[in-house]
Amino acid sequence: MGEIRTEEMLMNIGPQHPSTHGVLRVVVKVDGEIIKEADPVVGYLHRGTEKLAEDLQYTQIIPYTDRMDYLSSMVNNHAIVNAVERAMDLEVPERAEYLRIIVVELNRVMSHLVFLGTYLLDLGAMTPFLYAFADREQVVDFFNRLCGARLTYNYMRVGGVKWDTPDGWLDDVKKFVPYMRSQMGMFHELVTGNEIFLERVKGIGKFDAETALNYAMSGINLRSTGFNWDLRKNKPYSIYDRFDFNVIVGENGDCFDRYMCHMNEIMESLKIVEQALEQIPEGPVMGKVPKILRVPAGEYYSAIEGTRGELGVYIVSEGKDKPYRLKFRRPSFINLQLLPQQLKGQSMANLIAILGAVDIVLGEVDA
Amino acid sequence: MFGFLKGLKITFAQLAHKKVTLQYPDVMPNWGERYRGVHKFYAEKCIVCNQCARICPTSCISLSGSKREDKKLHIDTYDINFEICILCDLCTEVCPTEAIQMTDRFELATYSRVDLYKNIYWLDENARKHDGIIESEGRTHAGGEK
Repeated sequence: MGEIRTEEMLMNIGPQHPSTHGVLRVVVKVDGEIIKEADPVVGYLHRGTEKLAEDLQYTQIIPYTDRMDYLSSMVNNHAIVNAVERAMDLEVPERAEYLRIIVVELNRVMSHLVFLGTYLLDLGAMTPFLYAFADREQVVDFFNRLCGARLTYNYMRVGGVKWDTPDGWLDDVKKFVPYMRSQMGMFHELVTGNEIFLERVKGIGKFDAETALNYAMSGINLRSTGFNWDLRKNKPYSIYDRFDFNVIVGENGDCFDRYMCHMNEIMESLKIVEQALEQIPEGPVMGKVPKILRVPAGEYYSAIEGTRGELGVYIVSEGKDKPYRLKFRRPSFINLQLLPQQLKGQSMANLIAILGAVDIVLGEVDA
Repeated sequence: MFGFLKGLKITFAQLAHKKVTLQYPDVMPNWGERYRGVHKFYAEKCIVCNQCARICPTSCISLSGSKREDKKLHIDTYDINFEICILCDLCTEVCPTEAIQMTDRFELATYSRVDLYKNIYWLDENARKHDGIIESEGRTHAGGEK
């Protein structure tokens, strides 16, 4: 019997597809089950955040950043206020800095829990998703009590944060940290040791550190290849130099390493939250800032370690209360660039596994 | 095979846990004090300073006022377009007299887009659900008069 004759076929994955985590369209050319070519099409969620920002004062831009990477709004808030503060050389009260660290790290935990849940859902495991979201709900509830929203927080302001903590909030977070740690043990038991899961992710979607660096990748995608680069450690901003934590790096740069990096980063984030809770001082949460924020004329770039990589803000100012140009260096978008190369020669089933491990949020890809 | 059994163990252990879901339309969530829901407007407190309209990132607030006998500005019209409002809370933050505040109401779905233009009467009658004072459902001023 001769070989089975197959024909190349062009197929669209998405834009409406539950496993593309939003509205990503991937045009794939398949030969039977094997992907010959893959071409991601982005832009379905483009709202023109950068262009809109040119017409807005710096305070007004903050709610727009909430909607970029909507799984880690606090981190986005931090990126923009940090950039403006650095450009204007503003002082931030200690308590506000600590509150920022606590919410940003809690947000990182929350975002990684969504990764954990949805990634496993992509691979066909239903239960971890429910457990992850039940735990995530607690963090969402913390944020709701703190700033009155469950997803679009708009919590930070240039020069501080909007609210001080409500009564008992810090104690509840303190109780949450050990609880979440024990839950992580449960997740490891449930997922990490599962043979079906290991079979699906080990050795899949491999790339090395050099490729990652050539593609300007950052965050977990870069660290999973064994390259140690975390802005919180390498270029400390805010008050990250006061905390003791490890940068999690992988070894092989495959999907399993990326999964493990996410899991271990949750533990490190909890460590930072715990330390911040111990050190947090009393005091005001809003510093002295001019009523109308005017960034001095010039060009400024500052970046923070976002949930998905280096989240940079590039401000071009003419000395007015609105930026002349505002550019966000969005990690999801940049990490997605390697996808065509990663998918070549893989089977269709692996497409979902690889795309999920890149951990993109389409709000950030398209901005 | 062993990992599969471990998973089953955890699933069975979960049976003893408390439910975390809420039967939403029957049981309403209590969002707490700071929740940023649909606005409540106190017409008598407003001094027509226009700050809320200016800070609004989406320019969804439009208002007008006039001088009355006491030589002070009073509010005449106050409209919020909830088609584009992003509930960012900046208007309540800048308001010097706390005339505009946010409630814990969040259900804004309507059958017509016109109904999302809420006027001064609707916003005045709107109230926090968990205070249990007023609920504007069934009242006559349903917006859409713009």
